[in-house]
This record gives sequence, structure tokens and C-alpha cells, in this order.
Amino acid sequence: MPNWTKIQTSSFLESNARDRAIGLVDEGSFVELIGPFDRFCSPHLVTLGEAVEFDDGIVTGVGKIGQRPVFVISQEGRFIGGSVGEVGGAKMVGTIDQAIAFYDSLIAEFPELPDAQRPLVAISFETGGVRLHEANAGLLAHAEVMDAIQRARHKVPIVALIGSRIGCFGGMGFVAAATDAIIMSEFGRLGLTGPEVIEQEMGKDEFDSSNRALVYRTTGGRHKYVMGDCNFLVDDTVASFRAQLTELTLLPIAEFESLRRIGSEALVEKQLRGVALAVTIAPTDSRDVWRYAGNNDPIGLADGPIADFRKTVKRLVL
Amino acid sequence: MDTLLGKGREAVDLIVDPNSFAQDKVGSLAFTDATFGPGAVVGEAKLDGQLVTVIASDAEAFNEKFPVVYSGIIGMEEGYKMAQAVYASLAADAAKKPEQKRAIILVVDTPGNGPGKVEEIFGMNKATGAYQLALAEARLAGHPIVAMVVGRAISGAFLCHGLQADRILSLDAKFQTMIHVMPITSVSRIIKKDIEVLEELAKSNPVFAAGPTFFYQLGGVEELVSEIPAMREAIIKQVAEIRKAKAEGLNAVGPRGRGKLGQERGGRKVRPEVLARLNAEFAAVQARFRPQAN
Repeated sequence: MPNWTKIQTSSFLESNARDRAIGLVDEGSFVELIGPFDRFCSPHLVTLGEAVEFDDGIVTGVGKIGQRPVFVISQEGRFIGGSVGEVGGAKMVGTIDQAIAFYDSLIAEFPELPDAQRPLVAISFETGGVRLHEANAGLLAHAEVMDAIQRARHKVPIVALIGSRIGCFGGMGFVAAATDAIIMSEFGRLGLTGPEVIEQEMGKDEFDSSNRALVYRTTGGRHKYVMGDCNFLVDDTVASFRAQLTELTLLPIAEFESLRRIGSEALVEKQLRGVALAVTIAPTDSRDVWRYAGNNDPIGLADGPIADFRKTVKRLVL
Repeated sequence: MDTLLGKGREAVDLIVDPNSFAQDKVGSLAFTDATFGPGAVVGEAKLDGQLVTVIASDAEAFNEKFPVVYSGIIGMEEGYKMAQAVYASLAADAAKKPEQKRAIILVVDTPGNGPGKVEEIFGMNKATGAYQLALAEARLAGHPIVAMVVGRAISGAFLCHGLQADRILSLDAKFQTMIHVMPITSVSRIIKKDIEVLEELAKSNPVFAAGPTFFYQLGGVEELVSEIPAMREAIIKQVAEIRKAKAEGLNAVGPRGRGKLGQERGGRKVRPEVLARLNAEFAAVQARFRPQAN
């Protein structure tokens, strides 16, 4: 068992999935479900003659923050890019389903149960989306996760934490967008089509994936914060993510609605105002949008210390 | 007619009651701007006399505002427009009992989501996710949702325009229908596996083979339709079956129903074992996470 205190000061970016899962909840409270000892691995990887992992690259379990049960899903980018197939998908869906079922049974028994004692789901994303080795099964898994998220609405808040090396892309990019709240560090990245794919499909003029500054400017935490897609921009430590998550554990489910990006007709209308803006601004770079939002020095803003960024940045209002 | 690939509009007319499709109006929502999300065809129609919402991809449309959106690609405008059509359907039937809510028919022929820099700056993932959440909400509220694959059902676009349906039907492979994440040539390059190995495995393994027959084995496709004119009757039948199934429980259809079907057809066997074990393991430790007396 890794030292919980040591995990707290670790870089979130550098932390593996299990350390993140353990470190996000109270010390000693994490219980892994479907861990490596259950030896569930992907039968499709075996068919392909590929190495397997007995947790299939995703840590799932439950812990506590204060008195709030926190169901944790944590993806491991070092195993096939954190991609999701049949087993990983089932672990994700199963965890969210358990949180919902637990909520239902608790409320049936304790109708007045305080918010701070109701289940919450925390998902630490590090993934490129569908595991191509399990292509079609991966697609079906993604659909099930989205279904589970909709079933959790107005019952169990789901918080996305994005600050790991691979970021959150592909099908998991819209899964994250569908959650109730998103916490990111500046090193986290969130998008749909990865920069390499855009470059491959549309050419280097559209997106130069070797330009790291451009990549981070487009899908990184700072940009997502300006856009309102990231609700909370935190420092790159496990403790910082945990602190923000802890604040969220105090909120009633109704207050999570104002943190959402999508999930209602009104939110779609709001996002469409953003799309109309995309036509008006016709940005060749996200800095064009930052400038429109009222930031006069987008270059300095992108490169300065994160604490200064949080203090001075003007976020886009739609 | 040897294929409906690229012919989403024609497919709509072949499915609904003759001359009944009224484009650009769903419930009280009217889409008056022809340049808004042209790749998404939305409207109302009658199907066997019943009012339905229709959402189709139009491969012949080109979105002049977003150059990466053509040939049926679902861009930001298209994704949100489709979501709006679903929310308008929910609103129109809000007062109706679940068993009386209108069906939503998705006509699927789309090669992907918009892959561009502007799309990533503004969040293509949100548009894709918004449409899925709307469909999931409508499905769980009682609307029967049938997805009819008439052409391409590929990757993220199929995830938002198809995979949240109650049931998915597909024209046979002989009609050039495609269902996959990406071409096997791309898969080969990305996972660094010889294409010959993949092509050999693809002959029998449903997981990464392309095509409706293999997706059927995984439980992804409920029914393969062997003749184009038979689409209409197949959809009408599925709407009735979905209503019956939903009356008994929401897990019999939709993504969960496909999970069960995938198990029955032998394409996805480990998934139910994982779910059952997770259930048991949480039950064993649940006591420590229950509320403590203060």
C-alpha cells in the first residue's frame, strides 16, 4: 500500500491510476473493486496475442471523503493509452450503476439523508477513447457509459478529473463533457479528435501536432477554463485535485446543474451561441477566442504562472 | 437500388408514410435557417399512421461555415441541431404517458464527427455528447428510438447518431453498409499489428471486423434487413416491440439490452461477469460506506 501522505504531494500528471484513486479519497478508505486479483482481462487482447493487465488498465472502487461515499474510476494511460474495451467499459458502467443503486437504497431507507452522505462518482480520465484492439466492443462500451451517466442525473453527481499525461480524448472526450463537473490542471487536455488524427485527416496546415504549445493552447486546461468547459483549474498535485473534489462533496445535487456544459435544451442553446461565435471570430488559434473574451495579452496569459492566470483571466461568457 | 449509401433523404422517404415527412419542424420548434447544420435533416412524419420524429444525416450537404463538415459528417451545428430535435420531441410529448410518446427514427449514414481545429477550440466533444444525453433522456422517458443504418455508421458519429437508440437495425452488407471504428488499415497502423493478421482474424472475430454482420454478433445490431423495401416494416415492428419491452423494464432495450444480446450471441461474454462480480464485491463492503449514526 503506497503512502497516502506521499501521494498527496505527488504530481497528478505523473501519478499512476491506483495512486490517484487512493489519494483522492480519505486515507485508508479506498476499497478496490474488480482489482487485479480478480484477474479480469480482455479476451480480445488474448486473441490478438497482446499482453494483458489484470485490471485491464482501469482502477475502480469506492472510498470516502468525509462521510460521502465516493465511487472512483481511474484510468491508466500506460496500458494501451488508457483506452476502453469490453472489460474496462464494464468496470466503468458497473461502478456508476453501483453508485446509483446505492443512492436509491439509501434514499429509500433515509429520505432525509444529508447531501454530504450521498454517493458521488469521481472519474480520473487518462484515455484515448475506444481501444482499437476491441474496436466494436469499445464502441458499445462507450454507449453504455453515456447511458449510465444519464441514469445518474439528478441523483449521483459525477465529477471528471483531468490532469494526466494522455489527456481525455476520443469517445471518452464526450463522456467527460457529459459529467456534472470538470476539474483540470493546466497539463490536462480534453478534446474529441486527437491532434495527430486531425493532422492526418486534414493536414499540417489545419493542426500541427508536433507544436506542443499549440496543442495545449487548444485542448489544455487553461483554454478549457476560458471556455467554461473546465469548471475548476487546480495545481498539479493530487492534494489540489482532492481539495477541489472535497469542496464538491459538500454540494447538493441540484447545485451541480449550474456546473454542467450539456444535458438540457437550455445548455444546447447556450453552446450554440458559442458555435455562432466560432463563425463570427473564425479563430485560427484559441488566442483569438481568449482575446474576444477580454484578455488583452493572451500570449502572456498562456505562459505566466498558473496562480496569476487564475487571478487575472477573463472567461468567455455565452 | 443497390445501395442507400449517401442517400439519407431517399431513405427517409422509403421509411415513412408517403408524402408525410415535414422537414425542419419538430413539436413547437421550427428550424428556419437553411444554412444551420445542413448535414442534419430533422422533422416529423407519419409512420404507419403514427407521428414520429425523424433525424437523418445528409451526405449531399456541405456546411459552408465549417469546411470539415461534408459527406454526412456530424459537425458542431449538426450535433446540436439533432439534440434540439430530440429535446423538442421530449417537450411535445411531455404530458403523454410513456407508452404514448412518439417514436424517434434515426437514419444513419455518417462517416464521423467534424475533425478540425475550430471544432477542438470550441468543443466538438460537447456537441457529440449533447446529442447522446438528449437521446438517452428521451429513451429513458419512454420514446421508442430506432436507428436504421443505411450507409456508414462510423466511430464517434455512430456513437451519437445510433448507439443510444433502443434498437439498431442495419441493411445487409451487400448494400455497402459499414459499421466500425475506423478502417482496418488505420487500426493496423495504430496498434502496430500486421494487416494480414487483422484481416485473417476479421473473417471470424466480431470485435474488430467491419460490417453489420459482425456488429450483429456483438449485440450491436438487433436485426439485419435484407431488402431495402423491408426497412419500413422492420422499423414499424421494432417500434411496437420496444414499447412492449419498455413496459416491462428499461434494461431490456438500449445499450443495456445490447449488452444482454451480445452475451446471448456469444460476442461479449466477459462483460456480464465483470458486472456481477463488481456487484458482489460492493455488497460485501457496503456496510462501511453506509451512513453512521451521529
